[in-house]
Amino acid sequence: MFDLQSLGIEYGTLAMFVLLLGFLITGMPLAFVTLLIALIFTLGWFGPMAVPLITSRVYSFVSSFVFVSVPMFVMMAAILDRSGIAKDLFEAMRLFGGRLKGGVAVQTIFVAVILAAMSGIIGGEIVLLGLLALPQMLRQGYDKNLAIGVVCAGGSLGTMVPPSIVLIIYGLTANVSIGDLFTASFIPGFMLAGFYVAYVLFRSYTGDNIAPPPRTEKIPTEEKIRLLKGLFLPILVVICVLGSIYGGIASVTEASAVGVAGVVASTIVRREFSLSMLKAASLQTLSTCGMIVWIGIGASALVGVFNLMGGIKFVSALITGISDDPTIIILFMMLILFILGMFLDWVGIALLTMPIFVPIIKQLGYDPVWFGVLFAMNMQVSFLSPPFGPAAFYLKSVAPPDITLGTIFKALVPFICLQVLAVALLIIFPGITGR
Amino acid sequence: QEFTLKVQSSDAAGVPNFVIEQEWAARVGKMSGGRIAVEMLPVNSVVEHAETQDAIAAGIIDGHITDTSYFTGKDPAFGLIANPVGAWSAPSEMLRFVEYGGGKELMNEMLEPYGLHFIGAVTPGLEAFVSSKPLDGVADLKGLKMRAPEGMVQEVFAAAGASPVNIPQSEVFTSLDKKVIDAADATVFSTNQAMGLHDVAKHPVYPGFHSMPMLEVSVNKEKWDSMPEDLQTILEVSVRDLARDMDAQLAMKDMEAVAKARAEGGVTIHNWSAEERNKFRKIATSQWEKVAGRSENAQKVYDTLVKYLTAQGMI
Amino acid sequence: MAPTPEKPAHSDIPPTPDLAIEPDGTPEPVPTVSGLFGRAVDKISSIFALGFLLAMGILIFEIFMRHVFNSPTLWAHETTTFLSAIGFVFGGLYCASRNKHIRVVIIYDIAGPRFRRALDIGISIVCAISSGFFAWAAWLMVKRAAFKPGGDIHLETTGSAFNAPYPGLLKIFMLFVLIALTIQFVILTINYVRAKPDYAGANSGTGTGHD
Ligand code: NA
Ligand code: NA
Repeated sequence: MFDLQSLGIEYGTLAMFVLLLGFLITGMPLAFVTLLIALIFTLGWFGPMAVPLITSRVYSFVSSFVFVSVPMFVMMAAILDRSGIAKDLFEAMRLFGGRLKGGVAVQTIFVAVILAAMSGIIGGEIVLLGLLALPQMLRQGYDKNLAIGVVCAGGSLGTMVPPSIVLIIYGLTANVSIGDLFTASFIPGFMLAGFYVAYVLFRSYTGDNIAPPPRTEKIPTEEKIRLLKGLFLPILVVICVLGSIYGGIASVTEASAVGVAGVVASTIVRREFSLSMLKAASLQTLSTCGMIVWIGIGASALVGVFNLMGGIKFVSALITGISDDPTIIILFMMLILFILGMFLDWVGIALLTMPIFVPIIKQLGYDPVWFGVLFAMNMQVSFLSPPFGPAAFYLKSVAPPDITLGTIFKALVPFICLQVLAVALLIIFPGITGR
Repeated sequence: QEFTLKVQSSDAAGVPNFVIEQEWAARVGKMSGGRIAVEMLPVNSVVEHAETQDAIAAGIIDGHITDTSYFTGKDPAFGLIANPVGAWSAPSEMLRFVEYGGGKELMNEMLEPYGLHFIGAVTPGLEAFVSSKPLDGVADLKGLKMRAPEGMVQEVFAAAGASPVNIPQSEVFTSLDKKVIDAADATVFSTNQAMGLHDVAKHPVYPGFHSMPMLEVSVNKEKWDSMPEDLQTILEVSVRDLARDMDAQLAMKDMEAVAKARAEGGVTIHNWSAEERNKFRKIATSQWEKVAGRSENAQKVYDTLVKYLTAQGMI
Repeated sequence: MAPTPEKPAHSDIPPTPDLAIEPDGTPEPVPTVSGLFGRAVDKISSIFALGFLLAMGILIFEIFMRHVFNSPTLWAHETTTFLSAIGFVFGGLYCASRNKHIRVVIIYDIAGPRFRRALDIGISIVCAISSGFFAWAAWLMVKRAAFKPGGDIHLETTGSAFNAPYPGLLKIFMLFVLIALTIQFVILTINYVRAKPDYAGANSGTGTGHD
């Protein structure tokens, strides 16, 4: 058997990244790239007896309750997409944003923030916006890049706006108050959404052919009432979901099921319901979740192998050895998060870095709550950054075939810059967290 | 170095208990003159918390310090011995049973077929109860919507009239906050306080009345058998000291947190009377027999436990 | 598509097509390179898809029981987690058969037909080998989850008051899916080898993953 252990953890880590990148660009399915690297290192470092480590991680990943809300959101999207609800919703939104150039894109961000308050995890919302908002914006003549960016960046807000699974896992790891984390992430979350809105408006008003010209024609009153009717059911569903969370009726995950039930009920009210529609929506959920979840599976397995290789000790020593200046240590951590964000999904990154970073942060005397928010902001970047950008993959899974991954990543560059700006502001002005 | 032990904990890296375990690992290194190197790994770092037993058996990791009740799904006996709700009112009582009352032998009889060797038990202490409703006795549990983990705790609370909700740890905070549940079985007072649970559930019961988990320190059996006797003894004695260390340090933290909570106000700490505690204990012990019937090993645990408690005049 | 013989047509239920429906509403066939096996996977996929709907129903039921009757169930969360997990695991196989897994196709896109075929063959072989390893590892895992150390059959349970054998069942299910995944990749390899260079590239290009 080939012996990788002789590489040592330093070169082992490097080899891991090189192999990841190498296999990634061959066109091998992503889920199998990370699984393959995990397998190679398990075999080469520990031998065949350790391979069950990978299947054990796969088992734990798929059977974790927090992911139950992902199929619920995807199902919501799939049903909305098959009914007329989504179309009517966007038609009606014209009434409000119609006079603003870039209005629909701004409204999409608005919808994304509402969705973010309804869910603690990402994946489902991007699929939802990708199925509903993206075709509408493209149809209305929005710039492709702007529309894609709004959907991916907006859809990623789920873990930045409370409730957030990233913050909950951070709180459990760092032993800090989850309530404090939620409170502290409130303003930064809206700040980020605000950046997106500002960027959309700036582009719409300064660029040519970025957004369709604002509507000037008067809409007759009957038409207005007809359009407003289109808002009624979606708003009712949103109220049901948010109301069941904030009214103490359902947990966050359960509330996502309320959303599906609400959407199904809406199709019945609209006489659009059919069993074949429901079956088709379920099949799409199966396919989309297969893609989404399997991307995370491999990364989670890879982190387990890396931790067993001594990864925690290695990264920990790397950070504390870099400098005595706390600011440089923080910046170095951001760099590590950024690089990891290019190769792993957030579950893997959290699993790997939180146990290392949290004790160091506490030792340096920083506020662990502030760092939790900073961590969540970094995860926003990781959702978008190539080559491993989950948000891009989720969108790709439902986007029209002519929108390639390359197109999506190109469209995301300005939004990644906005996120990096938000990270920088959080470091320079920790007071944004209200602490 | 003759032996390297990768030991996964059931605690997260930022929790005080993990630091205590890391200090133990360092002491083992010193006591053995560097012949044993213990590397502590935080929860879920290599495998998920409920998967460590399999991972040790397979030789993937070498050991764990973890709540034995995570393996209730393998054998109900693990749930009963890990948390015989109502049996212990202080860590020393449980530790005496394990060390001298037949607990240790029983643990090894159950674990060795799985390929693990049990070195010793430790415990974070009596868990405090988190509640947003004032609870002063068993009667107040009636209809209480509470989160309880796997294992016996759930059944005991159901028998006491509460409505256990089976939600995962990751949703405890938001569910308490939004009043989806009224109460939760979480962990010790100081950690509950640090996680902010008392910000949203202002009526904790301390000292706790319901649960004191046994954390087992176990290693791969083959690895254990390959160790010379002096190193085995170093591990055994160091685990005995870890038990004392964990109890002492966490109890101090608890008392500090309680004092702070009292001084700051806003949180009402409830302490149950001896009478109410006994009432709960009676309900709890009545459930043991039910669990005992579920497997041969569970019956063995039940018999050993009852024999010990009777001999000690504790029941 | 004609209704299958064992499924008599119902007048009140609209006939459901045998093929999966794509987001745009048109049925898309399983790529021919996936073979008969891929079509078989496709055939049984709706069972697992409906599992997600069932999970939704159970969560609603739980909210109802807890809120209206103040008697939460002990099985709802465990069962929905199990149903979702089954769906997630099967979803991976489903996407493999339908060539729906996400890929980065930088090299693939610029490659000529011959190189593309070589890539297809290479990727399928590597995936088959790793899936084979995982199936074997899953078997080792199942041995611990389905049998007591003495050899008696005992499915690992959740250990809760409900104590369903979900962990044991899920691990066994994973074993079957990983075996099926291995078979699927072997079939893909064979069919890519058999296919003419220009044909292989054209056919694999149907997946969403391809740019
Ligand atoms: Na959220
Ligand atoms: Na990324």
